[in-house]
Amino acid sequence: MNLGRLSFLCCITGAAIVSGCGSIGVKPWQRDVLAREEMQLDSDPLDKAIDDHMYFSKEASSGGRSYAGGGCGCN
Amino acid sequence: MQLKPKARLPVARSPNASVARRRLMAASCALLSAGAARSQSSRLEDTVNELLKDWSVDSALAYYHENGRIQAIEPVVDVSRIYADGSALNFNVTFDALSGASPNGALTSHTAQTFASPSGTSLTGPHTYTTAPGQLPVDPKYHDQRLAVGGNWTVPITRTDQLSIGGKLSDEHDFFSATVNASIAHDFNDKNTTLSFGVSNEYDRLSPIGGAPVPGSDYTLFEKTGGKTKDGVAGLLGVTQVMTRNWLTEFNISVDRFTGYLNDPYKITSIIDSAGGTTGYVYESRPDQRVRNSAYWENRIAWSSQLSTALSLRYMSDDWSVRSDTAQLHLRWVWADRDRYIEPTIRWYRQTEANFYTPFISGAETSTTGYQSSDSRLGPFHALTYGVKFAKKLAGPGASGGSEISVRAEYYQQTYNVRVPVPPGLQGLDLYPGLDAILLQVGWRF
Repeated sequence: MNLGRLSFLCCITGAAIVSGCGSIGVKPWQRDVLAREEMQLDSDPLDKAIDDHMYFSKEASSGGRSYAGGGCGCN
Repeated sequence: MQLKPKARLPVARSPNASVARRRLMAASCALLSAGAARSQSSRLEDTVNELLKDWSVDSALAYYHENGRIQAIEPVVDVSRIYADGSALNFNVTFDALSGASPNGALTSHTAQTFASPSGTSLTGPHTYTTAPGQLPVDPKYHDQRLAVGGNWTVPITRTDQLSIGGKLSDEHDFFSATVNASIAHDFNDKNTTLSFGVSNEYDRLSPIGGAPVPGSDYTLFEKTGGKTKDGVAGLLGVTQVMTRNWLTEFNISVDRFTGYLNDPYKITSIIDSAGGTTGYVYESRPDQRVRNSAYWENRIAWSSQLSTALSLRYMSDDWSVRSDTAQLHLRWVWADRDRYIEPTIRWYRQTEANFYTPFISGAETSTTGYQSSDSRLGPFHALTYGVKFAKKLAGPGASGGSEISVRAEYYQQTYNVRVPVPPGLQGLDLYPGLDAILLQVGWRF
């Protein structure tokens, strides 16, 4: 997969959002499932931080989900 | 002096009364001390509960171990509080203790190789180490400790906008880093869509042991200077969208640019003659600027009341010609009235090499760009991570009134795909050994 393909997929998602398609999104009273812990994008922040530190020190890539800097002299 | 025997006389005349009295006293003392202990314990508990009633605490202790190389212990504590006005405050502290053996970048050889430790200025004497024939050259006395503290404050500025600012300080004996960041997020479409934009600025100061080598200089000349710096700026644009009642998606595009001394001051590259013999070493030399672009897409889907997945894809490219793809899948299964869950995960990663990466320099060749590095982290490889996490909810102190304990294990494996022709004299050697590592973690949050 390259940046072009990923961007293409996201453009489709974005176009659907912008078009205001009626099936996208929920009403406030339909957020029960989205309120679950496992549906939070920032669930398990320490697991992510510890994993990111490991990958930052062993790979040439970092970031994506958040900023790429590591604040660590390990790479 | 005489009063004591006289006072004891009546008691001494009745052994049963004495025993009864002692038992009564013991019981009274026990009751009083138990009461006092209970009271003290209760006061302590009340104080702790009072302190924690508005705060959430997340903590973890991680142990990382590589096959024959580095091991690390990392405790992390993160505390956060959400105020009635919707603002949130967060602080975190991380400590790392690393030790073991770190590859110095030189190539494995059929002969023994002697290197100077970072503080050494000669290839003879006490500040040296020798790598046996056929072994990957590693600095066997690598150790480091890092302390990092960070904070973040998020505040709503309107009903649909929120501002977040944060910072982080990280200190090691040969490295210091300071980062500040700020972001703004805007909700619209009935809060089904969130657009966010953030910027970050990082300042790093390197104080390598023995000094910072002059990039590309002869290893035996020990041409080193004082401390160096590098700076980074980053920007991130993101959109989060609620797709359906069970599906949440996020897409981010980010750019970062680092300038300054981007070399690893402890990495060298071997110079190899046509027969495969090592004729010398030079310090690595990287460009003094790097620009990275990345796209990140994550989807969280609840398939049922018990099963959910989080799938993320990332593509990254930079002006060093490194391209990487990452895919990660988490699968969470909850049961026992949502009191327990197990979460297996798998991650696949692949990267191409930087355009100046070379596992060794042939004696006859010269780099067209003047840059070279044999750092395997800039080489071509793919990696797989397998992991599993188990968590159980319990009663607990703090804002939530509950707590969660968890254990997590991961196995990480790197496999190199270097396709550089091997000189005859290096045949039979494992020049590009992979990396196997495990991560064990326990966590407690409340």
